[in-house]
Amino acid sequence: MVDRISALAGFYRTGKFGILGEDQSAGVILEDVRDLVLHQIAAWPESVDAVGKLAAKAAGSKAAPGPCKAEVGSSASLLRIEPLKWWVVGAEAPDVDAEQGATLDISHSRTRIRVTGSQAVSFLNRHLPLDLREDSFPVGSVASSAIHHVGVTLWRSELGYELFIPRGFALSLWEGMVETATQFGLEVV
Amino acid sequence: MSAKRLPQGGRIDRDQRIRFTWDGSSMTGYAGDTLASALMANGETVLGRSFKYHRPRGIMSAGVEESGAIVTVGQGRRRDPNVKATMQELYPGLAASGQNAWPSVRFDLGAVNGLFGRFFSAGFYYKTFMGLPPMEWGKGTGLWMQYEKIIRRAAGMGVASREADPDVYDHVHGYCDVLVVGSGPAGLSAALTAAKAGLDVLLVEQDCELGGDYLNQADEASGKKRKDLIAKLEKAGARMMTRTTAFGLYDYGTAGLLERVTDHIASPDKHLPRHRFWTVRAKQTIVATGALERQVAFGNNDRPGVMNVAAGRSYLNRYGILPGQDIVVATNNDSAYATAAELASAGATVSLLDARATIPESMMSLVGNSGVNLHTRSAPLNVRGSHGVNGLDFAVAGQGGWSAQGSESCDLVLVSGGWSPVVHLLSHRGIRPVWNVEQACFVGPDEVNEPIYMAGSAAAVWNIEDCLTSGESAATKAIKALGGKARQKKAPAPGGWESPIEPLYEVTVSGRQLKSFVDPQHDVTTEDVRLAHREGFVSVEHLKRYTTLGMATDGGKVGNIIGLALMADAQGKEIPEVGTTTFRPPYTPVSIGALKGRNVDGHFRPLRRTPMHVWNLDHGATMTMAGLWHRPWYFARKGEGISEAYVRETETTRRTVGLCDVTSLGKIAIQGPDATEFLNRIYTNPFAKLPIGKARYGIMLRDDGIVMDDGTTWRLSETDYFMTTTTAHAGKVMVFLEELLQTRWQDLRVHVTSVSEQWAGSAVAGPKSREVLEACVEDPSVMSNDAFPFMGVIETTLKGGIPCRIARISFSGEMAFEAYVPSDYASALMDLLWAAAEPLDGCLYGLEALGAMRIEKGHVTGAELDGRVTIDDAGLGKMASPAKSFIGSAMRNRPELMREDRPRLVGIKPKDASQTFNAGSILCAEGKVSGLGEGWITAVTHSPAMGHWIGLGFISSGYEAWEGKTVIAADPVRKGNIEVEIISPHMYDPDGERMYG
Repeated sequence: MVDRISALAGFYRTGKFGILGEDQSAGVILEDVRDLVLHQIAAWPESVDAVGKLAAKAAGSKAAPGPCKAEVGSSASLLRIEPLKWWVVGAEAPDVDAEQGATLDISHSRTRIRVTGSQAVSFLNRHLPLDLREDSFPVGSVASSAIHHVGVTLWRSELGYELFIPRGFALSLWEGMVETATQFGLEVV
Repeated sequence: MSAKRLPQGGRIDRDQRIRFTWDGSSMTGYAGDTLASALMANGETVLGRSFKYHRPRGIMSAGVEESGAIVTVGQGRRRDPNVKATMQELYPGLAASGQNAWPSVRFDLGAVNGLFGRFFSAGFYYKTFMGLPPMEWGKGTGLWMQYEKIIRRAAGMGVASREADPDVYDHVHGYCDVLVVGSGPAGLSAALTAAKAGLDVLLVEQDCELGGDYLNQADEASGKKRKDLIAKLEKAGARMMTRTTAFGLYDYGTAGLLERVTDHIASPDKHLPRHRFWTVRAKQTIVATGALERQVAFGNNDRPGVMNVAAGRSYLNRYGILPGQDIVVATNNDSAYATAAELASAGATVSLLDARATIPESMMSLVGNSGVNLHTRSAPLNVRGSHGVNGLDFAVAGQGGWSAQGSESCDLVLVSGGWSPVVHLLSHRGIRPVWNVEQACFVGPDEVNEPIYMAGSAAAVWNIEDCLTSGESAATKAIKALGGKARQKKAPAPGGWESPIEPLYEVTVSGRQLKSFVDPQHDVTTEDVRLAHREGFVSVEHLKRYTTLGMATDGGKVGNIIGLALMADAQGKEIPEVGTTTFRPPYTPVSIGALKGRNVDGHFRPLRRTPMHVWNLDHGATMTMAGLWHRPWYFARKGEGISEAYVRETETTRRTVGLCDVTSLGKIAIQGPDATEFLNRIYTNPFAKLPIGKARYGIMLRDDGIVMDDGTTWRLSETDYFMTTTTAHAGKVMVFLEELLQTRWQDLRVHVTSVSEQWAGSAVAGPKSREVLEACVEDPSVMSNDAFPFMGVIETTLKGGIPCRIARISFSGEMAFEAYVPSDYASALMDLLWAAAEPLDGCLYGLEALGAMRIEKGHVTGAELDGRVTIDDAGLGKMASPAKSFIGSAMRNRPELMREDRPRLVGIKPKDASQTFNAGSILCAEGKVSGLGEGWITAVTHSPAMGHWIGLGFISSGYEAWEGKTVIAADPVRKGNIEVEIISPHMYDPDGERMYG
């Protein structure tokens, strides 16, 4: 199998940029998390519970998450991205009968950017109209929002803030984010 | 005015001297100075020229309400006009200059306008130049068009740089439980109370320091209290922002803030934005924005050296400047007394004119002990001096009004006509302030139907101790509204002075002509207001627009109340009966740069790149924009321009094979047991019986019967379809399908998901296209003509294990395929295809060749489907099934849409084959080149297949009606008229033999 090529390939420069701390620390750390495995699981209104169980089983989690929440399972993570839809991150979708719902491989449709660092929230709020304060957006939260009118999904995982950006817009938004992040000190890893 | 810097005192840092220039002259100030205070300390008095009359103007305040010291700061690309010197912090190397004057503000030839002041009254331009005889007798508006140019040149203040702005600007979204606007005593107290209750507090202050009126106080206790409150706020975890103005309040607790990040820094880091435009969503808002001191209208009250009293105090106590040696303080309220005493103590000779007859004992002793000469029942009448103050005529109150009393020499006149609470933010919410007679000012109403609380002098609470309580009271309301527990503090009532204010708006004596300004920034005088009344502009809204009172950057801060009072007087009414104008955002100016943020230049719109972007560039693509997409335009070989390249690409594709990145087409997964029914309802043609493994071309209409989009839909399984749309309409179609499912057809079990980003696609077109794909797939047998007929669909694997779906469909008119792979494999797909196509003498082709081939075939795109075209107009009426109902099926049958003479899709060629013509030309009957003509041209190209230019367009009744006739392609602004012939739009291989071959 040939290697997958990221939307940022050819433009991705690792290193430190902008206004760094006295100890050369960066307030914002950005990472292109490549080779995304992402499947959508959709249910019909009457089969949400049943499909949710299938989704939870596929991810190895106790239950399927409710709206705007994520569950981290033993084999994958589940994000509730719409009332009738989950995303399973990191595993294949389960078999779902058409009478119950539908699954779709969208692994190549998004570019996944992980945002960490002490200024991650300040940085994200340069772009996202979301209340990311600790009480409002704790680990395990999911939101659909927009950067520069491009629909994006944000998931706060244990590892940081994970942005899922439509692949065709990813480089353009990446360039904008890099420009914004330099004021906090930026490290691209 | 003979101001001087005192040897000590103030909040300036005397260890940090700062050099700056004013009109080219080098000067020095201190860290902590504003440009205004530094200029004052350097003895500069005339800092500006007024808008209409070019009257000399100086510093009139120490804050955002400044109407005189409006200057230009910076040079070259960073030249910024209309900066209020009172708000511009001094920094090393700052270069400031006067504006609206030539050659300088000190000597301005434009001052000649002042001689004609009586003509430049309100409405001057309208009355003189628009539609009035004799200027316009019989001349329509032609003359006005000429005057307008000259008037426009004379209008406006300052000149912005014409170079591109070198700075960057940020947009920021912020959230908090409680937003506190203003950090004076009330704001600090409110923020602290809320923060101590555990709430997330954001305190914003327009000044560079927190403290508000604390910063202007002389006593040490005030300074200590300020420090103490700030330290406690820090400890309580409140967020505090200085140099940040809350310029507007909007729906649901949304506030607009402008943070000035680098305006005070000589050489800011290039990574820092100049300004940040904040959109803050607050659950509760406390408005502690203070109050602005009012002027009084009297003769020459705009002269440099006439300021408000609070400004005098600020320059003395904050900036360590004695603003005058011989000072007259004029007031109608208690607030001026402390300042008069402090100025006298600092060494000035001070006379205090109080319009009131009775003065409280404590006030009298305050000024008496300081050596201030107090005159009761007295008011300023007229300032003497042309470029500054050298004396003041004053008046005394008698039975019949004011009478001239005499004059006194002085170099500074400080005036307090009372205070106007800053109710602007409340007004932005559509909440009308109410007139408080006792305090002679507008205040917010007692009940506000939004979580907004006024505190401190913004609620007409005048002394500092009461302001602290007022802030605390507002905060407890906010805490309780958020479900917290707090003992409600009683809010102090408006007031706080020992003796009441005596309203005073204008001082005038009979028989004396005075130039008394109401709004100095716009040169609006008391006479202008009375003129407006005489001419019937009695509504405050009309008064404002007729006289320009309170417009532009002033925003009604300075002259509004005086204007209202004069209008009320003229009408014989009370102020509240006349009304109040509505303050609208922004409170102070917001830079255009901050509004645009980072959405500029390359980021004006987000750019969409296909997954083959780098591959295309590596293979010689010249790119072009198609909507947001960056797409290959043509692949020039050595020595080729666009014309040669696309002709070669077209010829090569028709002769052998061509590859084209078609990733930008919209792609939608349609899934579910009712997917077939869904498609059957949205497409005009039948989809109920489309077999698995086949694709079908479909047209979808809008509800009104006009064509929305076209494309192919592939059936992948019983319940899965893959729909393609045009590039231009991908988003619109997706949104429409979602809307149908979520609103009209909730019973259908269908999910639609955009997979435009998931799949990268290449068209493989030309007689050798099958050969190319055979070389790329792992199992070549899937590509045989029998296994893969026209409109067939297969899901297969390319060499290297790449999953791929291919349909045999054609936009070029050749035998052709569209092959899609998951996007991360796009380069691998192109490598495979190109390795197979290049040895066959194939080519890569771009949008130009794609367009040429589709025009030859008469295939429509967004250029034709422009929202006016019916399915019959596009020549595709046979695709509208008469046997079923579909979106648009009812409305498309309206008589207007079924008219036989509607413009129909046609092909166009020049009568003389050597001629060219343009898209956008109007098609007219020969000899009738006028009006809208008979139709229009949507697309043109040189057709390599036919050897001449061809086009597509629309003409009434279609091509059959124009066969054999000469038609004119009229293009009056470019090429002129070209004779053309109208032909069938299917100009190349009309029977499709090449496609099926």
